[in-house]
Amino acid sequence: MSIWEKAKTLDRRIIFLFMFLGVGLPLLAKIGLPVSVTDDVRNVYNYIEKLEPGDIVLVSYDHDTGTLPEMIPMSDAILRHLFKKDIRVVGMALRAEGNGIGRQNIRRTSAEFDKTEGTDYVFLGFRPEITAAILGLGTSFEKVFPKDDRGIPVGELPLMNEVSNYNDVKLVISVTDDDTPVYWVNYANARFKVKVVAGLTAVMATTFFPFIDSGQMVGMVAGLKGAAEYEKLIKTPGRAARGMDAQSIAHLVMIGFIIIGNVAFIMRRRGK
Amino acid sequence: MRRTFPILVCFSFGMTMLVQFFVPSKLSTDAYNEITNWVQIIYAFALIVGVVGLLKYHFSRVSRRERGWFYNLVTVASLIVMSLLGFIGGRGDGGSFMWVFNNMMAPMQATVFSLLAFFVASAAYRGFLARNLEAFLLLFSAVMIMFGIASVGNAIPPFSDIANWILINPSMTARRGIFIGVGLGTIAVSLRVILGVERTYLGKE
Amino acid sequence: MNSGLICVSLFTADGAGIWIASILTLAIYSFLYKDNPIYRFSESLLIGISVGFLLVTTFDTTLLPKAFEPVGKGLSVMFGIGGFGSIISFIWLLIPVALGLLMFARFVPKYAWMSRVALALYIGFGAGASIPANMQSYILRQIDATIRPFLHIDSFWSLINAIVILAGLISTLFYFFFSKEQKGAFGKITRLGTFYLMIFFGATFGYTVMARISLLIGRLTFLLKDWLGLIS
Repeated sequence: MSIWEKAKTLDRRIIFLFMFLGVGLPLLAKIGLPVSVTDDVRNVYNYIEKLEPGDIVLVSYDHDTGTLPEMIPMSDAILRHLFKKDIRVVGMALRAEGNGIGRQNIRRTSAEFDKTEGTDYVFLGFRPEITAAILGLGTSFEKVFPKDDRGIPVGELPLMNEVSNYNDVKLVISVTDDDTPVYWVNYANARFKVKVVAGLTAVMATTFFPFIDSGQMVGMVAGLKGAAEYEKLIKTPGRAARGMDAQSIAHLVMIGFIIIGNVAFIMRRRGK
Repeated sequence: MRRTFPILVCFSFGMTMLVQFFVPSKLSTDAYNEITNWVQIIYAFALIVGVVGLLKYHFSRVSRRERGWFYNLVTVASLIVMSLLGFIGGRGDGGSFMWVFNNMMAPMQATVFSLLAFFVASAAYRGFLARNLEAFLLLFSAVMIMFGIASVGNAIPPFSDIANWILINPSMTARRGIFIGVGLGTIAVSLRVILGVERTYLGKE
Repeated sequence: MNSGLICVSLFTADGAGIWIASILTLAIYSFLYKDNPIYRFSESLLIGISVGFLLVTTFDTTLLPKAFEPVGKGLSVMFGIGGFGSIISFIWLLIPVALGLLMFARFVPKYAWMSRVALALYIGFGAGASIPANMQSYILRQIDATIRPFLHIDSFWSLINAIVILAGLISTLFYFFFSKEQKGAFGKITRLGTFYLMIFFGATFGYTVMARISLLIGRLTFLLKDWLGLIS
């Protein structure tokens, strides 16, 4: 059996080992590879940068715990930008798990800026059925969320007295690991003209380029790379920036395996 | 009655949602508000129905001592314990319910998803072969994105430029084509559903 | 915490949490070697916990404030104030709850058909809401965005890009919509469509790799930093 034939039956655990080392070693030895900022992320940053202190932004946690390592650095970076600019945040979730994630995320990040729940930010909780919830918010936040996540009637929250529907919200940010921003675009943007931004797992990134091109979305922050770009823009390096070395090296390992696989394939074909 | 009434309900609510979009009035807005509210409540009940169905399935496997029943028991027990922690102890930060969420559920879920990093590498090594022009384009596009967007290629202009060009031109327009296809398909199916032509959601008699 | 190997205390709530999370992480990674009882135990545990979380959250954040509390309130108003108006408002509040409860009828074969009513309402709502949304967002705006660049050509490359996008859209749509034999000039257009689709799928694969590696980075960072203290 030639080396190229053997390559075909390579034990997958060897590939696993290389992937493990490709990610693990750069985490231990910091390299500091550069991160360049893409237009899609810069557009999000610029839009938020232009908002006035006191403006209200809706942040919807539309993801599960499975993608937390990708989503949390992104949410942290965006929320830090919002709170730093004294923009008020209304949080909610269209996933049950997003409820647990979002509540803790907003409370933790807001604490860094001494923000008060109810006045500077609120967390409304979870609503099932994406379409109905998004459409419902278009006419009345209070109808969709009569109480916040703690069980306090929204009428008793000073911030919510200023929010009746999308007209009072400058931007919707959907942090998600699936196609929920499509619903935000289709139902909230198309019908109520509210601006939409997506914070996405990288898997979904290619889905949203048509919406950005058509102006239906302001921009997007995709994956750990997008989060690292945002961290760079707000000049607060965090977990995403740290992970980019490992991301780069792991991609090289992956490309290396694809090249080896193809060389072996070509050599096998020549040998026949 | 068993089929006609649901079809009538579907028609009425479908038409109400459709008409109120084009004819905004106080009455249609009120109807819209109520319907969106009802749907959220019904959907929440549907989620609970799903949980009951899952419990029923696992219970039956445990009670019949089917192969692997111990794992079904683990699922049932953990579901019950988690529910009790939430219903009795509450969902507040710092409670045991959120402790399990943060220290068991979230790490396990994220780990399961991260397993794919290994399998995707193995699959790419074996299956990502330039057998013909289509396969080459698939391969080329994937490698350019991996190298030019989130790797060292991102700092080398030709690679990052090519990767960005792929994303905002050919890849974007193909996705746009899929969107238009999905849009037309959804509209056609929705009309069939509202008009009662498409009835598969009713199931068998 | 960062000075050496395994320095997280097991005897605090946070420390115990990190230990348990680490052990469960390794239990799931054991699947990389081969399927085993430890992995299957963790998997079953995860399903149970996740569904338990969903149950509590759905009940507590949605059903309680939107269904049960209003019905309870309506009931007390009806008995407190009474009158025709309060009865009507109570029935109004009761309708979605009753429809929701009807969903449980599917567990009783004889009455399973009753759950169709709630399902029909839900399906009808979705269908009615999606028609204008899809028309506007998926079709009109997308066609507009494809044609509009031709009105703002300011360089040779902007013209090329506009043509690439238009050609891609037409050929992709040809590939999807015309179910006739793909040969001759028609076949060439649909083949061009497959080229575009391959580029899209390749780009999506590239991003998928990126996403999954990011998750692996997250888990390894947790193990190396929070548990083992090897990263500062």
